[in-house]
Amino acid sequence: MNEAILPRDKGAAPLDLMIAVMAFLAALALGASLIADRAAQNWQNGLAGKITVQILPPQRGDAGKTLGAETQTVLGILRSTAGIARVNALSQAEQVKLVQPWLGTGNLVSDLPLPQLVDADIAPGSDVDLAALSTRLKQAVPDAVLDDHSHWIGRLRDLAHTFMWSAYGVLILIAVSMAAAVSFATRAGLDTHHEMVALLHQMGAQGGFIARAFEWHYFRSTLVAAAAGAAFAALLFMIAGGLQFAGVEAVPFLPPLGLKAQELLWLSVVPAGAGAIALVTARLSVLAALRSIY
Amino acid sequence: MVRFENVGMRYGAGPEVLRDVTFVLEAGSFTFLTGLSGAGKTTLLKLITVAERPSRGLITLFGHDLATVRRKTLPALRRRVGVVFQDFRLLDHLSAFDNVALPLRIAGGQPADYALDVDELLSWVGLGDRLGAKPPTLSGGEQQRVAIARAVVAKPDLLIADEPTGNVDAEIGARLIRLFAELNRLGTTVVIATHDRSLMENTRSREMRLVDGRLVELRVRT
Ligand SMILES: Nc1ncnc2c1ncn2[C@@H]1O[C@H](COP(=O)(O)OP(=O)(O)O)[C@@H](O)[C@H]1O
Ligand SMILES: [Mg+2]
Repeated sequence: MNEAILPRDKGAAPLDLMIAVMAFLAALALGASLIADRAAQNWQNGLAGKITVQILPPQRGDAGKTLGAETQTVLGILRSTAGIARVNALSQAEQVKLVQPWLGTGNLVSDLPLPQLVDADIAPGSDVDLAALSTRLKQAVPDAVLDDHSHWIGRLRDLAHTFMWSAYGVLILIAVSMAAAVSFATRAGLDTHHEMVALLHQMGAQGGFIARAFEWHYFRSTLVAAAAGAAFAALLFMIAGGLQFAGVEAVPFLPPLGLKAQELLWLSVVPAGAGAIALVTARLSVLAALRSIY
Repeated sequence: MVRFENVGMRYGAGPEVLRDVTFVLEAGSFTFLTGLSGAGKTTLLKLITVAERPSRGLITLFGHDLATVRRKTLPALRRRVGVVFQDFRLLDHLSAFDNVALPLRIAGGQPADYALDVDELLSWVGLGDRLGAKPPTLSGGEQQRVAIARAVVAKPDLLIADEPTGNVDAEIGARLIRLFAELNRLGTTVVIATHDRSLMENTRSREMRLVDGRLVELRVRT
């Protein structure tokens, strides 16, 4: 008793498939933007508060001996600077390990004149005048270059933000085409059920009553189709996350492609949004169509 | 209850199918609208049920001038009119019960409140044991009774039936007319369109006859 007024449509499968695919793409875009956001945070947290002094190997004379003396001078200056917490000159082995992903493990590395790297942490909460520090270092050791990574962080953050905004753009495009698809389907549905709509109208049904029959119908089928598409995307993200645990090497600098559990939950925004779009679109199309009959 | 003054009607750019139609339907009256096929009976009923707009003239329904009434009030006016369509227009995917309940749902009723009324009404038209049947599984006569039950379930002020006896034999036709007369006795204003004038025998009624879109004869039978 009290059955749905609109009969279940046969031949709605193409629309459902289309919605599922769009929801899948939307979930991919949303997941990618979450990854980019997380990567930007990680880069920021990992590098902020750290400075590195790079001492270039001198071109003439006893390179090793000069570099050693210059390193000591730099260490001295850093240690005497207020607000610098920890200072550490990287050993030869540590430096070789850093360039290994790019240059390999061959003899090339030991033959190359590598610069000496000195790491330092800025004590949390202290405000070090990096420009002044840079000048002091430069005066004492002309080959020393101070790097506070802000350039890097800025570039990576810009990259991540560009990526995120692109993903949002893709989401908007998908939302618009989803609305267009549902509006198209609603019009077709109104045509198919023309006699029923005319009957309800003749019986004195308000536009809202008729619209409800349609919007509820499209809300439900869109919600189900979009949930399926988003679930498939979630599965792919879980597999991508699993690969890294399975020991597949992550590419240097590329953030992990998996999503955390609470990030996966965000993907449910896709079916919810799709359902809402279908609801509103179907309602507006029905009400617009009803306005044209007496 | 219904007043027509010099009403004319044409479909699109076609010829006038109703011309200078003027009449008044009093509350509680019982009227037969007769005329040959194509005379304009269905068109006239469509004007009364606010399904079509007249090309000219004045129509007043329940005291509202249809030319000036606000669009928002039309659904409420339509709900006060029960219609038995010539082709029934039942919804095939709904049970007999749900078809009959439709006007009550449209009016915002809850199943708990109207279930008993719908059951009773379907029993009254002899379909008490076919509540769950879908229209395609019902005979023509049964479908017609579902259509009638649907037209009267919301206790309309005005009941309109277009050729309600078109698809049934004479005996069932006579029974249907008695059913309408019973509803009329309970206070509903009734208009029945038919091309079969023998139906009017034995019924206290008024006849309006359409010939070529003109109302030519008005008489009362007692
Ligand atoms: N929707 C329509 N469009 C155009 N002409 C119509 C339409 N409905 C009816 N007509 C024409 O109007 C005239 C009256 O039709 P109708 O009102 O159905 O007569 P009746 O019900 O008495 O048989 C006929 O000539 C018919 O062809
Ligand atoms: Mg007719």
